[in-house]
Amino acid sequence: METIITYNAVHHAAWGTPITVYFWLVGASAGSFVLSAFGWVFGIKRYKPLALTASILAIVMLMIVPVLLIWDLGKPFRFIYLMLPGYWHGTAPMSWGTLLILSYPISMFVYTYFVIKNDQKWAKIVGIIAIVLALSTHWYTGVVMELNPGRYLNHTPLAPLLFLTGAFISGIGLMILVLWIQNQFTRPEKRIKWELMEEMAQYMMYGIVFDFFLLFLDFMQTQYGTASEYLAHGTVLMEIFFTPYIWLEVVIGLLIPLILLVTPLKHTRIGVYGAAFLVAVGVYGMRIWWVMGGQYIQSFY
Amino acid sequence: MTTESKQTSPAHALREYGSQTPGTKGIPGKRRYSMVIDLRKCIGCMSCVVACKAEYGVPLGVWRTWVMVADKGRYPNSRRIFMPRLCNHCDYPICVRNCPTQATFKHEEGFVLQRYNRCIGCRTCVVACPYNARHFLPAKRTNNNLPVLVVDKCTFCIHRVKKGLVPACVQACVGGARIFGDVNDPKSEVAKLVAREKLTVLKPELGTSPSVYYIGGDWEIMDEPHNYKHRTAQQKEEFNTYKRNHHGDAFGDIVEGENTMYHVGKNMSDFLASIPHKFFDVVAALKKLLFA
Repeated sequence: METIITYNAVHHAAWGTPITVYFWLVGASAGSFVLSAFGWVFGIKRYKPLALTASILAIVMLMIVPVLLIWDLGKPFRFIYLMLPGYWHGTAPMSWGTLLILSYPISMFVYTYFVIKNDQKWAKIVGIIAIVLALSTHWYTGVVMELNPGRYLNHTPLAPLLFLTGAFISGIGLMILVLWIQNQFTRPEKRIKWELMEEMAQYMMYGIVFDFFLLFLDFMQTQYGTASEYLAHGTVLMEIFFTPYIWLEVVIGLLIPLILLVTPLKHTRIGVYGAAFLVAVGVYGMRIWWVMGGQYIQSFY
Repeated sequence: MTTESKQTSPAHALREYGSQTPGTKGIPGKRRYSMVIDLRKCIGCMSCVVACKAEYGVPLGVWRTWVMVADKGRYPNSRRIFMPRLCNHCDYPICVRNCPTQATFKHEEGFVLQRYNRCIGCRTCVVACPYNARHFLPAKRTNNNLPVLVVDKCTFCIHRVKKGLVPACVQACVGGARIFGDVNDPKSEVAKLVAREKLTVLKPELGTSPSVYYIGGDWEIMDEPHNYKHRTAQQKEEFNTYKRNHHGDAFGDIVEGENTMYHVGKNMSDFLASIPHKFFDVVAALKKLLFA
């Protein structure tokens, strides 16, 4: 006998757009910072000229985060409770995130200071700490929703990898665009070389391929998973969140940039800058379906 | 939906880290309050919902307890079934584990409670709860002394239980469908029902060990994917209307069948518009604190 639900209470998705923007900003910040560390931490000297710009970009994006996070709280001025010993709760993922979001900008500031002072030794030491914190901060954004077993779409160990890969490619994309703008206002001898831009775009291409692979794994998991997982993909992602999932993430954020970066267009400015822009925008689509899509089905239960 | 084991053995208490208080089901000498809901006796009168709303002044649009209604079968062989819902006061509550400020905690006797003065309104517990048992209180209330913009939930009426009374919903139930008591006390009605009847709980696969048991539970009304797939058109429209007109304090609502990106943008504008209100509320509260 078929059962039709004729009445149920209405529930809201508790986390929304501010959280999606926060996830995007932290990701792009971490991605930019990785580029900054290429020169000073990993010793790839040709990346040193862009290190300062990348660090400042990472810091600026992270400065917006507290505005989003604190004002999204019901009681914004109680954010201090997250840091007080009597309140801190070690098993809560958000508690780990608080420590990371606090320590990551501090380490970035110190690292940037040593980059400006041209102190290779200390820039490398602090840079190693900062890069671990940058990756951890973005890892946290993946797990904060993953560690809710009731959210079937989010409850996958692929979450941190999806977030980190998105961070890497969106960070590079944004960095390429910022460097392009910077080049318009600097003397020719100070400009970032085109070959470096092309190389960064190639790293972005590898990231896009890996992101496709992760999305494929996630797709397989939902298709062969439980009824809830299947429903989450088939109905929520492919119907309600079709625009952010397929159009924004897959087509605009991954497919078109991939085509641009594997064809001869990868040597043209339109190819590199176009792909960079599309990736930076498209990754936001993943943040939307991840946060709001993950809560969608359950709001009807 | 699988039939729940009797769940009175301490061995069933899974993963207690973060719960602050160990599970007390089946521990001799400890009280463990639970509720059994006999769905065969529920007539869907909603008395429990009204009693709960009256007991706590629960605002419009949010519920501590509610009753789901479903139609089973096709005319003329159809019948209406009901399923009351409330916080499951889990032995292993995910909300407690995930709360970053210890605002929600588990009482030794089984109540999962909320401390408003600790709650920062981050809604992590709302995201964590698999049963939708938590809600975010609106910014404006008719009684200014009641909390706002923090998370609230069912308390199993601890204030009544401590005075020897049963929860308001149990008191108001005309069919006697809700039975409340200490499941660790073998003489209690709840313990006898748990021992004797075939029981189901919501989402047993999550290992939360709920303390709300159902007798005569229909798997279809209890199953989340089935719920989503088999809503009436009227229900869908009701949800959409509610979400479309919601200018609240949670910014994640998307309306089915409408432009997703439009609602993403609208949520952001609602969020930005809320910032000055929150700021001036805080300034007013500080002024009151310092100069009153």
